[in-house]
Amino acid sequence: MLSKIEVILLKSLEAGRSYTPEEASELSGMNKDAVLKAAYLLQEKGYVRVVEKSETEYRLTKEGEKYLKEGLPEEKLVHLVKSGVDNIDELRKTIGKEFQIGLGWLRKKGVAEVKDDKIRLLKEPDFREKEVLRAIKEGEVIEVDKVLERRKLVEKHESKQVFIEVIKKPDIAVQELITDLTPEMLLNGSWKGKEFLKYDISIPSKEIYGGKIHPYERIIEECRKVFLEMGFTEIKGHYVQPAFWNFDALFQPQDHPARDMQDTFYLDRYVELEEDVVERVKKTHENGWKTGSTGWGGQWSLRKAKQLVLRTHTTAITIHYLAENPEPPQKAFCIDRVYRRETIDATHLPEFDQLEGVVLDRDVGFRHLLGLLREFFTKMGFEDVRFRPGYFPYTEPSVEPEVYVEGLGWVELGGAGVFRKEVTEPLGIKGKVLAWGLGIGRLAMLKIGLKDLRRLYLPDLGWLRSMPVVRK
Amino acid sequence: MPVITLYWDELERLVGADRDTILSRLPMLGCDIERVEDDHIDVEFFPNRPDLYSVEGVARALRGFLGIEKGIKTYFADKGEWKITVEESVLAVRPRIVGCVVKGIEMSDEVIRSLMEVQEDLHWTIGRNRRKMAIGVHDLSKVYFPLRYKAVDASFSFVPLDFDRGMTVAEILKEHPKGKAYSFILEGKDRYPMIVDSKNEVISFPPIINAEKTRVTEKTTDLFIDVTGFDENVDRAIAILACMLADRGGRIERVEVVYPDHVEFTPNLDTKTMEIEVEEVSSLLGFDLTHEEIKDALERMRFSCDILDSKVRVGIPPYRADIMHEWDVIEDVAIGYGYDNIVPEIPKTLTFGQTHPWNEVRGMVKEVMAGLGFLEVITFTLTNENVMYRKMRRKGRAWDDYVPVMHPLTTEHTILRTHLLPKLLELLSYNKHHEMPQKVFEVGDVVVNSENRLHLAACVTHSKANFSEIRSYVQAVMREFDLSWSVEEPEDDAFIDGRRGEIVVDGKRVGVFGEIHPEVLESFELTMPVVAFEVDLSEIFDTGYLL
Repeated sequence: MLSKIEVILLKSLEAGRSYTPEEASELSGMNKDAVLKAAYLLQEKGYVRVVEKSETEYRLTKEGEKYLKEGLPEEKLVHLVKSGVDNIDELRKTIGKEFQIGLGWLRKKGVAEVKDDKIRLLKEPDFREKEVLRAIKEGEVIEVDKVLERRKLVEKHESKQVFIEVIKKPDIAVQELITDLTPEMLLNGSWKGKEFLKYDISIPSKEIYGGKIHPYERIIEECRKVFLEMGFTEIKGHYVQPAFWNFDALFQPQDHPARDMQDTFYLDRYVELEEDVVERVKKTHENGWKTGSTGWGGQWSLRKAKQLVLRTHTTAITIHYLAENPEPPQKAFCIDRVYRRETIDATHLPEFDQLEGVVLDRDVGFRHLLGLLREFFTKMGFEDVRFRPGYFPYTEPSVEPEVYVEGLGWVELGGAGVFRKEVTEPLGIKGKVLAWGLGIGRLAMLKIGLKDLRRLYLPDLGWLRSMPVVRK
Repeated sequence: MPVITLYWDELERLVGADRDTILSRLPMLGCDIERVEDDHIDVEFFPNRPDLYSVEGVARALRGFLGIEKGIKTYFADKGEWKITVEESVLAVRPRIVGCVVKGIEMSDEVIRSLMEVQEDLHWTIGRNRRKMAIGVHDLSKVYFPLRYKAVDASFSFVPLDFDRGMTVAEILKEHPKGKAYSFILEGKDRYPMIVDSKNEVISFPPIINAEKTRVTEKTTDLFIDVTGFDENVDRAIAILACMLADRGGRIERVEVVYPDHVEFTPNLDTKTMEIEVEEVSSLLGFDLTHEEIKDALERMRFSCDILDSKVRVGIPPYRADIMHEWDVIEDVAIGYGYDNIVPEIPKTLTFGQTHPWNEVRGMVKEVMAGLGFLEVITFTLTNENVMYRKMRRKGRAWDDYVPVMHPLTTEHTILRTHLLPKLLELLSYNKHHEMPQKVFEVGDVVVNSENRLHLAACVTHSKANFSEIRSYVQAVMREFDLSWSVEEPEDDAFIDGRRGEIVVDGKRVGVFGEIHPEVLESFELTMPVVAFEVDLSEIFDTGYLL
């Protein structure tokens, strides 16, 4: 099986010939990298041999060029001696600094000697070097004496050259195989009767990354679907809420630790509240009003209730919804962002998402809350659910559901309870309210094996790209 | 919530059951078991049950729950010769005080430590970190009655616990470790509460520190306990302590507290009663229980229960600080009955589900964006002015635009986001090492002038990202939204002048797009061109009613 580039290369070269990559590139129309890649692949299959040859080339140095033109220093010297000038001083004056070089070489070659400050020729010299220099200059490839290199008249240049030799072509004539199916072929039917080149299908292609929904949003979608299937109405509220809806309406005492600056993000703004409701809530806090409760005692401060906070739970929204829709039956859910004044680590974030469901009806009780919880968790994929007593300031009875997760055992997942009368009665809510909630982050940890919640809100694109849409 | 360490030998002995039984049933009483060790367990009890913050309290509850000893346990306080006079001066500072004498306690290091632990847990929960209630425990033999509870000024001095020299109130608040830790409670006051004995020596400076002279040691056999504060929380705390020490074998004696206008005897260990309709129990729990089942459940929870006609009369022990309403008792019926014995049932409430327009719009937008090849991301809504405005070469005003939070934890999170685009640029800066091109979008909430709005923003980055590319996407998005729009030149310095557009629908400016200005890229440390758009979907679509 040949890949596309291999076929193109084979098609454009002739068997038995040798090509440089540049030549092959020009013939095939592919770039040099593709040519070489194809050549190496073809070599493995025995169609091509890739040969690396190293070539030596000599070039004249500046000095070499000069001597070739003007003659070698010893040549100049011999010429002068022959013309009768043999006194050393006179010769040095005439030739300059080359005198010493010329004399040195004459002596080395045993051609001349110096006696009584005079140069005397011993035999007829030959200037073979000059012929070599000329040959190099003219591009002839000849043996070059090392002496020329040492005299720095020539320089040696070594280069590696790759040659692609086509040994043979595949049995099926390459020319007959279709590589790219083109619109022209389809139009003129030229593909008919020809074979398609078979590709190496095991070679991975380049990765592509499409657009998709965030894995966390998929979990939220799953939760929404479960609620909608169960007949719940989706509700939504502002992130910024008066402390009244976040705390007071839920019978959270004004000195409750959760209301501290330590745990809640407060805003330096106060809003007006509806007077009737406020008055009843105030009385309930102080002395229980008509709810049958003792209340928390002490003075309830209107100003504290008016202050804006970043909501600490979605219950601020569900309770407000029930206050606006106090007649049973009601079923509502809210999945949204909440805030806690917490330092960031792997399992704590200053903002995260919460899910909450409420049912308002007359003939429902704690047992029905357990029924709802079991149904909800089963739909969420947790078959085994059990219940332990819990504590939340605004529910009575309260329960902590636990689900069984393979490999982890029983895991606490959220909280639930029946809203206290101190919560429902001052708001005019008729009947009992069954409520439950949980952190979506915790769900994500169980569902997609997330270890670090920061991943969700400071996404790493590599992680997002690698998260499959389908979850087992 | 307080985590209590319970030692097995003591717990098993006091409960009269083995550890397997205890381990399996304890969570069903209402707690989280944090750690199980060879010699002890660490258990987190809920803040509504401070009576369980000691091994005595847990043993008392478990004996009932396991059926070993059911029904109410009554406690008595004998008449004593102990008196505290409350002076007018302290009423404005920390008006309430209760006292209790406990005799015949065998003190050991362990008992002292456990007493201090209970004290600290009560300080945290009922006491709200000593603000509402603070406890002082003293060696009775060092205290000379009658006592006076009064207010003094900052120059008043005595020898506080852990010191060997006299210090003034002002010095204690500045230098003593406890003074430094709790001075916030007395901030702004110029008078300070003080309990002084008949020798005119201080025994306690509540809620800060006791005097050294009444320190409890292993030789102590009799205790005096004072609890100061503002309301009935002081009664709750002293009742819990008295019952716990009575369980340890102590004899409780009453203290007479003389206020300017009335007299109280503390601790009050009387049983309170409450009558509950059986029908109300069945109604709240959602199934019918017989009188006997209710009685059995309540007695397991250490209440007394007399069956009347349609009612039960419930006796509530003095240490149960959490019973505010009959539903609190009914919850205990459920716990005593056993949550694991209740058969769950799906309610018959018939309603039809309905989505919120906000999320309908989000879903639609997600389909469009994912179809165009964009990857969805989620970012924090908490951010800061620097990211939201300065780095963007934009301007915003507190409250008109953004919401500043008070007491932010870090300089990173000081406001709520008003735009998504800066968060996306921030995100791209964390992801520079990943393969290009990168195409991301977020469709989510921003908060402008305290109200949520729904925005969509998208970014494209690669070496050749340009205006025409982002305009193509804007065209595609607006086409999918079935909106006709026109473009105007915005004055938004986040984009390059002449390469930015404002999306106008029905004369309303609903969004911007263009090539991000290199200065903005530089401040986000981005090294590739980025083109982007952001649209205010709440301006275009009906995103529904928000509570």
